[in-house]
Amino acid sequence: MNWSKMDDVNSQYYFTASMDSGKTLCSLLKAIQFQETAVFCALPEGLKLTVEEGKCVQASAYVPSDNFTEYHVRDDVDVMFKISIAVLSECLNIFGSGEESSLKMYYRSEGSPLLLVLQPQSVNNVMTDCEISTQNADSVLELRDEDSAEVAKLVLKAPAFLGLLADLERSCDVIELHLSPEHPNVSIVTYGMQDRSCIDVPKSSDMVQSFTCENPVTLKYQLPHIRLIMKALAISSKVVLRCSSNGLLLLQLKLEKEDQRQMFSEFYIVPLLDD
Amino acid sequence: MKCHIPGANVKVLGRTAHALARFGDELYLESLPDCILLRTLNAAESAYAMVKFNKNFFTYFNYNYYSTEDNEGLKCKISMKSALNIFKSPAHMDKQVENLEIKLDAESCKLIFQLKCRHGIVKTHFVSILDCKAMQAVYTKDSVPNRITSPQRILSEALGNFQSSDDQVTLEVSSQSLIMRNYVDTNVDLTKIIRTQISLKPSEFDGYAIEAETTITFTLKEFRALLAFAEALNLPLQLHFETTGRPVVFIVHNGSTFEAHFVLATSKCDSASQATSTQHTNVERSKRKDSNSTLGSAKKKPHLEVDISKCLDEDSHLFNFIDIPEEVMLNKTSTNGNIENKSKSSGKTEEPMDCDNIPASPAAKNMIKSVFKRCFESTFDPRNLHGAILAENSDSE
Repeated sequence: MNWSKMDDVNSQYYFTASMDSGKTLCSLLKAIQFQETAVFCALPEGLKLTVEEGKCVQASAYVPSDNFTEYHVRDDVDVMFKISIAVLSECLNIFGSGEESSLKMYYRSEGSPLLLVLQPQSVNNVMTDCEISTQNADSVLELRDEDSAEVAKLVLKAPAFLGLLADLERSCDVIELHLSPEHPNVSIVTYGMQDRSCIDVPKSSDMVQSFTCENPVTLKYQLPHIRLIMKALAISSKVVLRCSSNGLLLLQLKLEKEDQRQMFSEFYIVPLLDD
Repeated sequence: MKCHIPGANVKVLGRTAHALARFGDELYLESLPDCILLRTLNAAESAYAMVKFNKNFFTYFNYNYYSTEDNEGLKCKISMKSALNIFKSPAHMDKQVENLEIKLDAESCKLIFQLKCRHGIVKTHFVSILDCKAMQAVYTKDSVPNRITSPQRILSEALGNFQSSDDQVTLEVSSQSLIMRNYVDTNVDLTKIIRTQISLKPSEFDGYAIEAETTITFTLKEFRALLAFAEALNLPLQLHFETTGRPVVFIVHNGSTFEAHFVLATSKCDSASQATSTQHTNVERSKRKDSNSTLGSAKKKPHLEVDISKCLDEDSHLFNFIDIPEEVMLNKTSTNGNIENKSKSSGKTEEPMDCDNIPASPAAKNMIKSVFKRCFESTFDPRNLHGAILAENSDSE
């Protein structure tokens, strides 16, 4: 097989893609790597990897197709399989984190392995190809409920939000999110062993870029679940929080690359209900 | 009590909380008309720290905000974890925090720490009060014979050479030099450890006054913490100490706004086993409601002093026991200058082994006997002393 003639093989393969640098993709994958396996889904619009934590948290990395120099998905089949996300990110990083390497991905058909061809930019004529075995995908949780209306939407600067989360006490289990059209608009409350801590953020704050909330709402989440987004926050520039009336929290994070293209990560977090 | 602390000083307070957290698990807070005192004590009561913030450390200061009739300030105990939680990252605090307000919420019995941060963010911590006691240690820092003032870097650079597993350090001070070395436990296999010794000249220090040469041993964990504190604030460190068995006092102050005292018990490197040597800062607690606290302390003092004298007696007994063979050795060797030097130098390499073995356990007793056997024999010849025989014994142990 001649790997360089990509166009020739496109017709035979379910999915092929190539990229100049796999570095950003790798850090995005690491940000959602809190589970061993991910569901790899190649859509015509882009590539999406999804991991789930105990049916409570669903995290996805979404890479729009314009991040790839070439991107082909057969439109007559569903390209969806399970893959070890740890192995995948390790392969992308095979030349070390200091090395930019170009990346090509091939997936022939259902049941075949995902092939990666990596070529470091600084060294000529060095190439690695990796074969990562795949499994048939289970169904992915559909957490979004179309019937529940959105009750609040916030757009925050990711680094500042990360700073707030990092300051929360580690030993806490529960985080309470109070959103209100009145001042203070956002209030994050945690309960420690004996103490209560409260962080108030008015909508006039520099870190709040937009704030929409009609009626006061209080939502409770597991703090360990919220903590899962911290790695993704660290590489993102902006985060959108959406709360729906059933309490489901959706966080959408935008990662801006040097070439002006964007990658996204997305977290659905289910609420704690009052007992 | 209510006070406001400007952003730059919040960093100092944060550093203080982190330093105190290395000492104890509980933080005692007391407000007086002109200052606030933070104190802590470790569980073994061998390390104590007190930091005093004067009125001018604050932008607003009222020690008795919810003026109660008895005109008393606040005395309370909070968990150190709570305090640490407020000052998570002291290094960046001055950039993030604009103002900190500490006040007592009389109704809910909580101490409120309100941090006004950049971006209009307000962080409020409602900290539970565990107790309404004040705590104070009794120690002397002014009438001590030995005082050293050290630039903050010297000692921490010297400590950088020690293993992170070392837990105690011995300071041997004389008017010519200060020797730091790691303290070697008797139970440790001497072949498996690294012994570190660093000699510092008096000229390295800003102030160096030794009236009574002595050797003191104290814990490294707290020492490292207080050095980090002095270094973070870029302030020199003063050491005040007497002799082994008496607490050593470390002082960090900037002259006007705050003063920190760190008191560490010193154990007897030259004598005792760990059990007898953990030394004691003598702690006196007075209840808030104890209207006459001086009376209370007066009552307690005699008892404490008995304790001290008792343990000093014990220790000096042990100390003498160890000294006897050494005296014999030195007397005999002093007839010949050259040999004296030799035996001294060989004595030095064996020193930790000699002095650390105390008749606390049967094994140690045997050790002492075999090490010093020759000293008690009438035909003792110091020329046989140095060399392989002693080393062999220590290895087999």
